[in-house]
Amino acid sequence: MNRLDGLPTCRIDSSRKIEFSWQNRRFTGVAGDTVATALYAGGVRIFSRSLKYHRPRGLYSLDGESSNTCVGIDGIPNVSAENTVLKEGMQVRAQNVMGTPRLDLMGFLDKLDWAMPAGFYYRTMHRPAAVWPIALKQVRKMAGLGKISPDFQMPGRFDEIYPTADVCVIGGGPAGLSAALAAAGTGLRVIVMESRPWLGGFFDFRVCEYRPGLPLYERAAELAAQVEKAANIQVFKNTAMVGAYSNNLITAFQKGEADDPFDERYIEVRAKSVVVATGCMERPLLFENNERPGVMQAACAHRLAHTYGLVAGQKAVFSIGHDLGIEAAIDLFDLGLEVSCVADIRKEGQDRELVEKLAERGIDFLPGWTAVDCSGKTVKSARLCNLDTYVQEQFECDLLVASAGMTPVTGPLCLAQAKMAYDAHTGYFLPRQLPARVHACGRLLGLNDAAAIEVSGQVAGYSATLDCGVSVEEGLRQAREKLDSLAGPAKGCDLVMAPVKGRKAFICFDEDTTVKNIKQTLAMGFDATELIKRFSAAGTGPAQGAIPGHNLALFVARYHGRSSAITQPTTVRDPLVPVHIATYAGAYHDMCKRTPMHDAQKTAGGIMQRIGVWKRARYFSSDTACTAEIENVRNNVGMLDATTLGKFRIWGPDAVKALQRVYISDMSKIREGRIKYSAMCNEDGCIIDDGVVVKRGENDYYFTTSTARAGQTVEWFRYHSRYDNWDFNMVNLTDAYGVINLAGPNARKVLEKLTEADITNSAFAYGGFCEFKIKNTIPVRAMRLGFVGELSFELHVPSSYMQSLWAMLEEAGRPFNIQPFGLEAQNVLRMEKGHLIIGSESEQRTTLNDVGLSFLWDRSKSKAGTVGAVALMHTEKQEGRLKLVGFKMDNAQRAPRDGSIVVDQNVCGHVCIARYSTTLKEVIGMALVKDHLAGEGAQLDIYEDECNGQLMHAHVVKMPFYDVKGERLSM
Amino acid sequence: MEPITRRSPVVFDRPVKNKHIRDNWEIVLEYDNEGPGPHLVDLSHRSRWDIQDNQLDGYRPFQISIPQAPGQCMFKGGLLINRMNRTQASIWHLAGDTPDVPADPAYTDTTDGTVFLALFGKNGFAIAQKLSALDFLEPSSRAPFLLQGPFAHVPCQIVVMEKTAESAGILLTCSRGYARDMVHAILDAGRQFGLLPAGEAAFSNWIEKL
Amino acid sequence: MALTLTCPICGERNGYEFRYGGEDKGPRPRAEDPAPGHWCEYVHMSPCVAGIRKEWWYHKDGCGVWFTTERDTTTSLEVKQPEKTR
Repeated sequence: MNRLDGLPTCRIDSSRKIEFSWQNRRFTGVAGDTVATALYAGGVRIFSRSLKYHRPRGLYSLDGESSNTCVGIDGIPNVSAENTVLKEGMQVRAQNVMGTPRLDLMGFLDKLDWAMPAGFYYRTMHRPAAVWPIALKQVRKMAGLGKISPDFQMPGRFDEIYPTADVCVIGGGPAGLSAALAAAGTGLRVIVMESRPWLGGFFDFRVCEYRPGLPLYERAAELAAQVEKAANIQVFKNTAMVGAYSNNLITAFQKGEADDPFDERYIEVRAKSVVVATGCMERPLLFENNERPGVMQAACAHRLAHTYGLVAGQKAVFSIGHDLGIEAAIDLFDLGLEVSCVADIRKEGQDRELVEKLAERGIDFLPGWTAVDCSGKTVKSARLCNLDTYVQEQFECDLLVASAGMTPVTGPLCLAQAKMAYDAHTGYFLPRQLPARVHACGRLLGLNDAAAIEVSGQVAGYSATLDCGVSVEEGLRQAREKLDSLAGPAKGCDLVMAPVKGRKAFICFDEDTTVKNIKQTLAMGFDATELIKRFSAAGTGPAQGAIPGHNLALFVARYHGRSSAITQPTTVRDPLVPVHIATYAGAYHDMCKRTPMHDAQKTAGGIMQRIGVWKRARYFSSDTACTAEIENVRNNVGMLDATTLGKFRIWGPDAVKALQRVYISDMSKIREGRIKYSAMCNEDGCIIDDGVVVKRGENDYYFTTSTARAGQTVEWFRYHSRYDNWDFNMVNLTDAYGVINLAGPNARKVLEKLTEADITNSAFAYGGFCEFKIKNTIPVRAMRLGFVGELSFELHVPSSYMQSLWAMLEEAGRPFNIQPFGLEAQNVLRMEKGHLIIGSESEQRTTLNDVGLSFLWDRSKSKAGTVGAVALMHTEKQEGRLKLVGFKMDNAQRAPRDGSIVVDQNVCGHVCIARYSTTLKEVIGMALVKDHLAGEGAQLDIYEDECNGQLMHAHVVKMPFYDVKGERLSM
Repeated sequence: MEPITRRSPVVFDRPVKNKHIRDNWEIVLEYDNEGPGPHLVDLSHRSRWDIQDNQLDGYRPFQISIPQAPGQCMFKGGLLINRMNRTQASIWHLAGDTPDVPADPAYTDTTDGTVFLALFGKNGFAIAQKLSALDFLEPSSRAPFLLQGPFAHVPCQIVVMEKTAESAGILLTCSRGYARDMVHAILDAGRQFGLLPAGEAAFSNWIEKL
Repeated sequence: MALTLTCPICGERNGYEFRYGGEDKGPRPRAEDPAPGHWCEYVHMSPCVAGIRKEWWYHKDGCGVWFTTERDTTTSLEVKQPEKTR
């Protein structure tokens, strides 16, 4: 199709061709095209088939108001062709089509509409019950639009941005731009979001005069230039606002243009004040076959010509309800479109000048007429009807421009919790109550007059400025006065439906909901619009009710014979526009922590896994049983990177009070040079953390927590002392110190080679703490602990030195064949020793008593003053609690999976951990079981997923399993 | 046996032009082709302390007064003191000889607890707004000032050292473990603006001009 | 957590920087041997009325301060600047 070149409003460059494919055939568009306009220019009229009836669907609007033009692009389904700028090489495919869009094998479904009444999937095919699963499968197969492959990898570059603004203006039309300029003029930081690739809104494509000698499109360019020039206005084009949340948090996403470094990016703005200037879209006219390809909205036909240089057909019939429709007919006639007639729903009230212009051009004008039907797979003829006499007349045409009037785009306002109410004068839902620091302006308020639209923008801009604490009362007063002197909202057309039965009059295109379906729903007794929407599915499609939103509420009100004033539109929810999950994810930097030993462990064969916020070495070989790693620790010496332990300094006059508050033991008598092992509980007595505390000076302590609790420990201390005004200080040293657990019978021999400090068992015994230097340089805080059940030294060193120390230990340990070991090996080693890991051997409800650590609880301490002590006291004797026990499997070869349940007649607990112990040559484990199963010798019946009824059996035994006397760790 | 060295958690994958050893730290002074900026410099070897006390105003670390209000900073003699809250401030060594470790228990050496980065040059704030919703350009804040909040979703201490129409200068610290991902996130966000890693020399030149 | 909260140290920030610490119920009961119900009441029961509540919040991604602020739970908007707390 030839483009109209030389129109000043055109946004295309027809000299720059863009190649793409449609249904595997080569097509050519031009720079500035959307996928929809390029296809239309290439002669495509049927873009897709509809959801239920497989009816042909075509270009109806240009801003993605329906799923008619949803297509698959480069493997991504359900992309709105209207909102997607054409790019070189795009592969575009029709959706929901079996065959070709023109000849769809499923097209027969359109004749079966009687079998698919409203909510048929709730009402039919459910009896007998066995039918439904089969029917469901078939319905699922046939329904739905685009398809996506399960292993599809989303291509593209995604980004995110969090710009700061005082005022955020949504909508870059004349009102929005005026608002932005008003606010920015006072020095505030302003953001403008516009969904189209250019500013100007509905001024942009119109040639009628703003003032003598200045057409609207040039006025739009003036405003846009001022906005783009202002240093304190940040403009986001191609940006759809999708969410508004508490206190003016606005989210949006932007599509990248050719030279942008992203394909899509997520935008989040917290604005002090928000101006909504989203203007209007057209309200669809309901008549039989109102969604046939060839039927389109007035602005769609108008913009196709003026913005994209495409005259939409040869011969057109207009059936409109707004002056903009008449303007479109005149402009398109002047561009060579044959216009059979212009039917206007309104009997009177048209702009006289426009009617005269129709007459000048010899175009038939039929006030009080509307379209009632059209025929053809794509429109071949249209039938019009006089609304008083019901006289009908048929017109041959290939384009039926149809629109009942306008309706404001209220989505952003509704999301911002504005209260909307029906306005009989305009026929719009208008904001009756706006939330604080949200303003609306422009066509949204029913304004039509160009000057009034701009001034209303200024009013909103000044009001927003006031919200930001800048004094502009005088400017605001003047703008308000000026607005009052200009033309107010015009009378709107309130016809909902042409006089037809409505069997094929579609109120919702996305979900194939007809007027008949709505009537069926109403007849079944659904009376609230919100319920009618759900039962009939009208407005639940990808376009979020843009097409049915207004008409449905009006139709329901009329059906009940009520005044429209009491009807309410259905709730609008975010995201307003379909957004890729990938776009929400944005740049998606997976932020996780690595220890100083990350690379060295990887080099040594470590298999790194994300555990909480950290990446840690789980295994050091492909043997997930870690036999070699375990044996090396038991018989020789190994090294574990335990850097992820929480590490803290707490000091100050009231440090002991704080320790006493959160730890369950008596923390007042920590001896220097000794470690104190204790636990923290929550107020329910449930164990949340364990670790050791050492004293490094007067009122100066260093303590460790489990990895998982490191992030919350300072918070926990401060929370539980929030009323006390205690004087203590804390510093989180978790990342400041690397920790190496040097464990195994040869550990001392290795360490001795690196330090002159006396680390003999007599000088530095089990449970001891000392500080010394390695090679007179690296300061070490060393603890004699025994988590894995062997002689071990936990060495805390400044993180920057850790790699050096690790390398030195490796070298010193070479004669003993020192090897690193990972978390899984540690897991088995500590299990053999009966040591627990909180979160593994405990869950939300597990108290300190339940896991057998009640010896840590100092009962002489103030119970009210110790977090969890009161609850421990009350639950101590409680029956039916889950207790931690050790068990041996009767079958020594196979371990049940962690988390398997323990059963008798009921679920009686679960396996926390079970492993084959290389050391003991049997399967052992720990489980949390009901107290009646907790006695030594009790049999546990374990149910594992997919065990086919074959329970596994185990018996409760005493712990520890290994080195009962604890000789090995105190060597 | 290898010499004992202290290592930064940051390693830039760029050819090194010039480096040296200072206090056991191996420090890159300059990389090949650092470009005109903006730059990202690793300062993790620079000493940092936390000072915390109920009577904080009684302290004068390195003979410098601690700023009164949280969010305020004092940059003097190569040391930057950032008031965090009523009882706490952080001290960052930016230029000159490494000072001695203060002996008072109110101080805690946090050098190894955080990664320390400097992001400065043209479009610095454009990069920052891709990573954080914090308001670096709040008109009433005068550099240097401290922001404590998320940057690339990680809690950070951020000091804006320079805030002009042409140029930004941001120092930030966050938990050391995040170093690699933080650097990755910043470089990725800065790619479109030509952000490149630079050596300590570029930082020293910049800080001298402030 | 799209709400904003005003940290007494850092000023107004996005809600996701904070952790909720429950309604302000006053200090821990001092009674050394409270009845289980009484203790449970203190730990778990909150009036949870729709309206203005005084609540504890922790600025976890920022300065690490616990503070109380008054928030209208029906709109999730703060109604008062928080008290200065340590």
